[in-house]
Amino acid sequence: MIAKKVLLVGNFGVGKTSLIRRFVLNQFSEDYISTIGVRVSSKVVAYENQEIKLLIWDVAGTSGDEKIPKAYFLGASAAMFVFDVSREETYLTIDQHLASIKALSGLQNITIVGNKKDLLSKDELEAVLAKITVKIDLITSAKEDENVEDAFLKLTAQALK
Amino acid sequence: MKKPTEDNKKDNRFELLRELLLEDDREKFTALSEEIIEKEKLSKRVQPLVDEKIEDLRQKFPEYFGDTITETIKVQIRDSQDEVVEALYPIMGKLVKKAIVSEITKLSDNINRTIQEKFSLKQILTRFFKGKNNDAGVVLQEVFEPIIEEVFVIEKDSGLLAGNFTRGNIADKDMVSGMLTAIKSFAEDAFSKENQNLEDIKFDSFQLTIKNFKTIYIAIATSGVLNSEFRDQLADNVNNLAEVILRDRTYLKDELKLNALIETYLITQN
Repeated sequence: MIAKKVLLVGNFGVGKTSLIRRFVLNQFSEDYISTIGVRVSSKVVAYENQEIKLLIWDVAGTSGDEKIPKAYFLGASAAMFVFDVSREETYLTIDQHLASIKALSGLQNITIVGNKKDLLSKDELEAVLAKITVKIDLITSAKEDENVEDAFLKLTAQALK
Repeated sequence: MKKPTEDNKKDNRFELLRELLLEDDREKFTALSEEIIEKEKLSKRVQPLVDEKIEDLRQKFPEYFGDTITETIKVQIRDSQDEVVEALYPIMGKLVKKAIVSEITKLSDNINRTIQEKFSLKQILTRFFKGKNNDAGVVLQEVFEPIIEEVFVIEKDSGLLAGNFTRGNIADKDMVSGMLTAIKSFAEDAFSKENQNLEDIKFDSFQLTIKNFKTIYIAIATSGVLNSEFRDQLADNVNNLAEVILRDRTYLKDELKLNALIETYLITQN
């Protein structure tokens, strides 16, 4: 079975861990992420008639200044940047975040996901999306299990490219 | 027409009198009898239902009352901690003492047996000619024999597991490899200077020895007392294993082939 390391990055509280929890059931204790800044979960996914084991590195959210060990980004085959559609500060500097992740991981393409769709009305959501300059791949709701599977399938496809 | 005799007249009067006198009693008797019959009928109908309910209660008692009983016990223990401690202390004390005595007895037997074996004239001469003069080390190694419990061959950057050996039953070895790599990266980033690597982690009775190479690292979890001789032998074997893997990278793509190689180099040779 092919195994791929994929990353989940984004600010504090955007719902990265909730997305993983929705997608994966087996995972290490919550303590790890606050102690060393990352937690690894695994999930076998079926994609185009083959099974792929995703090792999902949930890198602790940052407010921009904290130092994350560079090694966490090494050897990744794909990355997902998650922001919270209900909190402006999580997508205002999205360009800088993406540039930083690309530099650390060496990846060219990053899947961009806006989470917590359930907190906004349709009009509010459209207003938020109009403010964001980069192309968003998916809008998800970990709470209502909306587009979560699709987001990880997109990540899998990116990892296999 | 036949005239009634004097006796017949008396009998009829007596019957009449009896009917008059016992009428109330007879009615009560009939009512009582009907009540009993009704109860018996009801009992026949209700009994299976009651039996069924009792059986259900018996089978699902923990489900119905488990929480209540647990809560009651918790409250009881909380409200009477002193009594609980007083009641349990002597029992626990005895159990702990018994366990310690048992383990010390086993250890003592083991040491005695090893000393008898190792200090025979034959063994002393063998050690003398082999140049192994550290008698305490020999005894310790025999009593607390070092055992390789787990081996992980992991790709350095990605933390992906290439191959492994295990005596236990790790739930998700890929996840363990990822977390081990993350912990290693965290420790190296936080405490080390450039190009320094984490090499040892100790936890409980286990020791995790990490040997770093250019693109992979090998983590070996051991139990027991690791003397210098065992460490040297292990280091040699790990280096030999890494040399074979790094010369033929196909091992990193074939888990089963690599697992067999790990067993050959680290388990059968140590």
